[in-house]
Amino acid sequence: MDHHEGFREFVLARQQALVRTAYLLVGDPHLAEDLLQSVLANVVGQWPKLVRDGNPEAYTRRALVNQYISWRRRPRPESPSATLPEHGFSPVEAALDRLVLRRALARLTRKQRAVIVLRYWEDLTEAQTAEVLGCSVGTVKSQTHHALARLRTLAPELMNAEAEEALR
Amino acid sequence: MTRLRDALVGLAEEAPAMSLGENLVHAAIATHRRRRQRRATVAAVAAAVAVVTATTAGVTVLRPKAAHPAAPAAPAAPAAPAGQDAVTDLPDGPVGAISHSYRIPCAFDRATHEADCGVAELRVVTVSGRTYRVAQALLHATGERDTPVAISRDGRMFAYYRRDAGTFVVRDLVKGGERAAPVLVPARRIGVGAMLTLSDDGRYLAFDPREGTKQDATMMDLASRRTTSIPGVYEVISIKDGTAELIRYRKTDLWLRPFGGGGEPVRFKGPHIMFSELAPDGRTVVATEFPEHQKGILTVLDTRTGRALRKVTVRGLPQKPGLTAVTLWRSSSEVVVVADGRKERAAYAVDVESGRARRLIGYGSHWRVNLPGVSYGI
Repeated sequence: MDHHEGFREFVLARQQALVRTAYLLVGDPHLAEDLLQSVLANVVGQWPKLVRDGNPEAYTRRALVNQYISWRRRPRPESPSATLPEHGFSPVEAALDRLVLRRALARLTRKQRAVIVLRYWEDLTEAQTAEVLGCSVGTVKSQTHHALARLRTLAPELMNAEAEEALR
Repeated sequence: MTRLRDALVGLAEEAPAMSLGENLVHAAIATHRRRRQRRATVAAVAAAVAVVTATTAGVTVLRPKAAHPAAPAAPAAPAAPAGQDAVTDLPDGPVGAISHSYRIPCAFDRATHEADCGVAELRVVTVSGRTYRVAQALLHATGERDTPVAISRDGRMFAYYRRDAGTFVVRDLVKGGERAAPVLVPARRIGVGAMLTLSDDGRYLAFDPREGTKQDATMMDLASRRTTSIPGVYEVISIKDGTAELIRYRKTDLWLRPFGGGGEPVRFKGPHIMFSELAPDGRTVVATEFPEHQKGILTVLDTRTGRALRKVTVRGLPQKPGLTAVTLWRSSSEVVVVADGRKERAAYAVDVESGRARRLIGYGSHWRVNLPGVSYGI
């Protein structure tokens, strides 16, 4: 029997959800795939242990965030460009929101972006977010505060009263 | 749900559809194994390198263009007839995948001993047989050196040096549109035997300014606009999924190097030339141990252990001059080679188990032909 069978089933079942998280973190489809593949290479090494006494999906999500944050420590040889990548245009409001959000997320720090993705996309609690990020709940609260404050400046149209509620 | 949440959900849905499936699994497992192997064998590799260096010392191998020139793809259409006249400029819109490109050389006036390069052209031939002139391409760099071109292995993407862009561009021939390299490449950087390698999806482009020298090559990611340097002692054979297959001749080392770096070279015992791309099994390559190419003997090599798995004597190739390049895989058991006969240069599919070769396509009398998935012209 193939000893990677369980890992294979896991990836095939969860790949789309994982790549969406990766995409929200990095904001680029190709980098998202790179990030996910890099993380899965680590996950497969831990697979027997994860199956025995862990939660593979939570571990993978945590690894995605950690890897994403740690990428800032790598050399970044890319050339900054004044022109934005081409994206499809849609006149509908939702599409405009996505454009605004994409640009705003790109201006956040990596930890702030990770907090936003975990709290508002993954719908994790502050305690769960703290566990994923390996920090205290207080740090999650402060990171969320700073991230939302930054988003409020960058994309005020996206921030309504409900989001403000999270600050309190 | 807040507007922020809605926007996040919408943005997440723009994530690429993961149709990779098994490929993603295999890539993750393969990457994991490479990392584990690298960690576990650093000391052993160092020792092995020392031993192999000692055993191969004194072996001299020429690695000129003649030693591993041409290469073929797995073309589906016949070559366009030589001298085809109905040539129009390549339009901006889609034209369909191409089977190869070639050049019309400068005309040489025997009386005045002067070259007229006004007649020189770069042309592409679609799989349906139409020929187009790439008018915007810069044909010659400083010193009349040919500028390199590259075709993705499926013929959908075509990379060439665009005069007005001052760098290489990748044209999508099926959808239309063009994307420039993230950095300018001054034409003066293009040296003798410059090479260009293009990934299957057109995302990665590697430019080696001068074949056979220690000038670093540049690998470019046209999507993320990043670049990375490849040590000049290596030559780029192919790029798949962001991983470049690099060969260091003489030693001979093969390095499967991801765009961001990493991976570890593996060393083969004995000098090998004419490397194929990585086989569909993700593990083996085919090359020929110098000077066995003269006898039509191929060697199947394991890129993880460096071991020669077997030797295959190819049957059915022209006797002379014989084998000139080993290139792409058509299937898990067939690799495409190019061989010169007395009358023509042609591509053959070779069964790596039995050695039996069957002719695929002839390339006629065209000059400087470039084939899909091959980083050098023939």
